[in-house]
Amino acid sequence: MFTKTRNFLVELGWPIGISLAMLALWEVAVRELGIRSIILPPPSEIIDAMIRRHELLLAHLWPSLYLTVLGFALSVVGGIAVAVLITYSSILRKGFYPLIVVSQVIPKISIAPLFIVWFGTGTMSSLLLAVLIAFFPMTINSALGFQSIDEDIHRMARTFMGTRWQIFWKIRMPNALPYIFSGMKISITLAIIGVIVSEFVASQEGIGYLIKLAGGLLDTPLMMAAIAALSISGLILYGLIVLAEKRTVYWQMTTDADGGAGG
Amino acid sequence: MNSRLRASVMRAAILPTDTMSAENLRQRLSPPVLRIKAVRKLYRELEAIRNVSFDVAACEFVSVLGPSGCGKSTLLMMVAGLIDKTDGEISINGTPVIGPRPEVGVVFQQPVLLPWRTVLDNVLFPIELLKLSRAKYVQRAMELLAMAKIDDFAHRLPRQLSGGMRQRASICRALIHDPSILLMDEPFSALDAITRDEMGVELLRIWQANRKTVIFVTHSIREAAFLSDRVLVMGRRPATIIEEMVIDLPRPRHIAMMEDESFNQYVRKLRKAIEAGHVH
Repeated sequence: MFTKTRNFLVELGWPIGISLAMLALWEVAVRELGIRSIILPPPSEIIDAMIRRHELLLAHLWPSLYLTVLGFALSVVGGIAVAVLITYSSILRKGFYPLIVVSQVIPKISIAPLFIVWFGTGTMSSLLLAVLIAFFPMTINSALGFQSIDEDIHRMARTFMGTRWQIFWKIRMPNALPYIFSGMKISITLAIIGVIVSEFVASQEGIGYLIKLAGGLLDTPLMMAAIAALSISGLILYGLIVLAEKRTVYWQMTTDADGGAGG
Repeated sequence: MNSRLRASVMRAAILPTDTMSAENLRQRLSPPVLRIKAVRKLYRELEAIRNVSFDVAACEFVSVLGPSGCGKSTLLMMVAGLIDKTDGEISINGTPVIGPRPEVGVVFQQPVLLPWRTVLDNVLFPIELLKLSRAKYVQRAMELLAMAKIDDFAHRLPRQLSGGMRQRASICRALIHDPSILLMDEPFSALDAITRDEMGVELLRIWQANRKTVIFVTHSIREAAFLSDRVLVMGRRPATIIEEMVIDLPRPRHIAMMEDESFNQYVRKLRKAIEAGHVH
């Protein structure tokens, strides 16, 4: 356990070190080359903006995060539910599953303006866009997880007279968990994108709105502070999922199950 | 005594290794635990199994020996109630097999353990599915694991075990609910040759302590001869039983017996029977 933690820290050390080196290079380059902060502010100025204007940033960050998490949760619950239906209904599997897979090709973000027309500029549009793009990878990954049962395991359960219900809860569900977590990792990223894009298009609040506003005012440090705040939030949300995955999918040696369908 | 049984007893009696042991004879005369009569299986037009009939007595160890793809696993899966037969009768303790039933335990070619369960929880899995009291069977599970010499690994996950240990765990799982028939579908074929011989000895030891009727499907002639009371040789075209041979070697059997002339005689005869089946 101890060596595991140490290995993890060592592994984490490299990307952190490289990030810090790049930030330092950025800082030095901007100062030495005399680049104006309206074009590219140095990291120190961005951090300064984050500290000084944290109230403004947080005021816009919360609604975005709230919608992201809500949209993500709806996608997870809905995605798993639809995956179960697809698994057990051959009509749905044959009819809907190909459509879901094909719909992956459509750039769903392009529907954002249409959602504004239908649902107005409020939170509803943002939420629905987040769900629209986060839902599909969740469904596809979960369905894959429920269906990728080893035929031998299924047979084994049948010889011991396992019912469909038992086979679902004791075999299909645990078997699907690694796939579900892969889906969740893709979905959380997409939920953030959905919310931000819809805030770009039309909104009076949210971090996407703030980024656009700051851009319009040529307040580049604020804009980049907002982007940084959003990135950090995204990392934290992703990290929470990885943490939950490590606890839940304890039987897997590595978390290299990330090869699932993307959005 | 039906005519078929009498015929097989007579055939057994004229084997060069003279008469059958008293043990064998007693087994043959008690009512059969498993009865297979004129069973046929068609996959569309393809005849996977043709007219297979045999009886298995209580506590008898019978191997079905044949080349890959001869339908021996299909036959076993029909006995397990996992595959429907096209024609014929299969009955266990006098009742026809129409689906899986609790007096049967199955060991598959792969251990098929659930990776998220510990070895102990895997062994107890049938108890959960059969809705029996887990608490009552924990003791038995630990005893079985001890008999299979893997009780130290009871609380480990399957991935922490070697292939042979996993297959031992799966044998414990098949025995947990105390079935009267143990069906084994090439259980050691995924193991290396050395582990495989060891597992054969282990299986006999477990079987000796825990007398069950065993149907053991294999494509290894030596394995069949070493383990069984009786070997049924299955041929490929037609997919049916072409030879039946009683293995009258003393028990308990040891690895060293594989060097004996009497053992090798059986191996030669079985090989000849299989080769004759290929000519058809």
